[in-house]
Amino acid sequence: MTVRGQAVQAVRVEQHVGPVQEAYAALLLDAAADGVRVLMAGQGGVDIENQAGLRAETARLDDVPDAVRRVGAGLPPALTAAGLRMAAMFRACEAMLLEINPLFIRPDGSWLAGDMKLITDDNALYRQPALRALLAANAAHYPEVQLKLEHGFDYVVVDPEGDIGLVTTGAGLSMMLIDELRARGLRPYNFLDVRTGGMRGDPTRLIRVLEWIAAGPRIRIVLVNIFAGITHLGEFAKLLLQARAAVPQLAVPFVVRLVGTAFEEAEAVLGAAGIAVTTDLERAVALL
Amino acid sequence: MITRATKVLVQGITGRTGRMHSRMMRAYGTRIVAGTSPRPEPVDGIPVFKDCAAAVAATGATASVAFVGADALLGAIREAVEAGITLLVTPTEGMPVHDALAALALVRAAGVRWIGASTPGMAVPGEAKLGFLPEVALAPGPIGVMSKSGTLSYEVGYRLVQRGLGQSTWIGVGGDPVKGTRYAELVPYFAADARTRALVVIGEIGGSEEEELAGALSAQRFAKPVFALIAGRSAREGVTMGHAGAMVHGTAGSWDSKRAALEGAGARVFGAVAGLVEAVAAAL
Repeated sequence: MTVRGQAVQAVRVEQHVGPVQEAYAALLLDAAADGVRVLMAGQGGVDIENQAGLRAETARLDDVPDAVRRVGAGLPPALTAAGLRMAAMFRACEAMLLEINPLFIRPDGSWLAGDMKLITDDNALYRQPALRALLAANAAHYPEVQLKLEHGFDYVVVDPEGDIGLVTTGAGLSMMLIDELRARGLRPYNFLDVRTGGMRGDPTRLIRVLEWIAAGPRIRIVLVNIFAGITHLGEFAKLLLQARAAVPQLAVPFVVRLVGTAFEEAEAVLGAAGIAVTTDLERAVALL
Repeated sequence: MITRATKVLVQGITGRTGRMHSRMMRAYGTRIVAGTSPRPEPVDGIPVFKDCAAAVAATGATASVAFVGADALLGAIREAVEAGITLLVTPTEGMPVHDALAALALVRAAGVRWIGASTPGMAVPGEAKLGFLPEVALAPGPIGVMSKSGTLSYEVGYRLVQRGLGQSTWIGVGGDPVKGTRYAELVPYFAADARTRALVVIGEIGGSEEEELAGALSAQRFAKPVFALIAGRSAREGVTMGHAGAMVHGTAGSWDSKRAALEGAGARVFGAVAGLVEAVAAAL
């Protein structure tokens, strides 16, 4: 059984909460306003964002508790109580979103979280050991985060049936390349921001990537696109060849496009291995 | 924003990255007058001080580029702001969002222009560059550039330069959700800058910056042509791709939302590099 594409691992059965009022409370990073948006409603359900009666205020991080009190004024007191607990947790966990929906309010005024959503800041996990442990314990649900924590770069399989492996650096350019290939009817297998600057002369990162690409059942070609400004291309070319030799199961042609320092050296190194190199991305894509 | 006369300080100059990029910025023409480091020994003849206050007092530096780790970035920003730096560029990737909120409060209170984090930097080609924009993509010219993505902006800048079109000012705002300078804040600068004849915006899915920019372009009746390239049209909902800001939830921050907003403000929006380059070349 799956819910929204996620395999159901377990079902938790809770004591019946009895007659309750269903309310809503959320704290959300509001990047455009340099602050945190406090949202509350005394009534509400799953589609709360579309309902009238939602009260909101954006506050600076330090002022969130005061904003909770202001937004909660006139609503059931349980909402302010919950909101203040949430404000402390939002700060302690360095959250980007914390939402309780539904928030059950019992007839005696006490409250209970019916469901909760937390969006973590991946960049803060290094100093959030409890969250890191939680993610590690549920690693299968958060493959991209686990990969980033473990290896220090970003890799996502975007089309399990894709036949073009991508060895790319830079998130924006890698995303754009995927868009452009798809617009031409091609099927890229993966997104990758390998961060050439973090490789430091070690082929391990490239070996990992080529192993993952090799796991794609239909891979027929690999496109390498590196335009990283300061990456020494001669060094990169040597690392690429070492990685390729270490992953013989990936027996497909490579198309390589490079722009940067020491292009001629890279051209010579890869040329000796029978791999043609271009500086023109459109030409490289035409070869796929 | 910067000229070859701007006195620049490099925080973290004795580290591997700081040392290398100080050399490259200097080779480009940037006037680096000082560095800071816990190990204050000169680097390539540049005097190095124990902190920003000492460096500013001795050299009169007004701009700083900080090459420090993500965990040290908030402290480095505080130090620069307290020393009186007025333009701060922070290429560091991975700054925690709550730190960025705290840093924003500091720079706003002090009236400091902060560019970053996760930025490749900024440049006024022919004058100076702060950060690591590659020279192969830089040339003086009529195009104002603002970008969330380093590598994608390199690709666009490189191809436009090959067509004989350089940049008036290039500002990488960075890919983080909370940042020192957002696109919309740069509209008055590019509107007033006489050398800028057109604006190229390099964006991506996620967040609301393109939509905010569209609002600012309309509200301020920006009169120069605007060309926008947005990456991530084919991305899956809910998956982060490299940039912390590049995640789509529902329709907010989607490619279509950004295109609609920008087109509504009179911009031309593209989903491929070649299309944008051709349109810019045809217009200028």
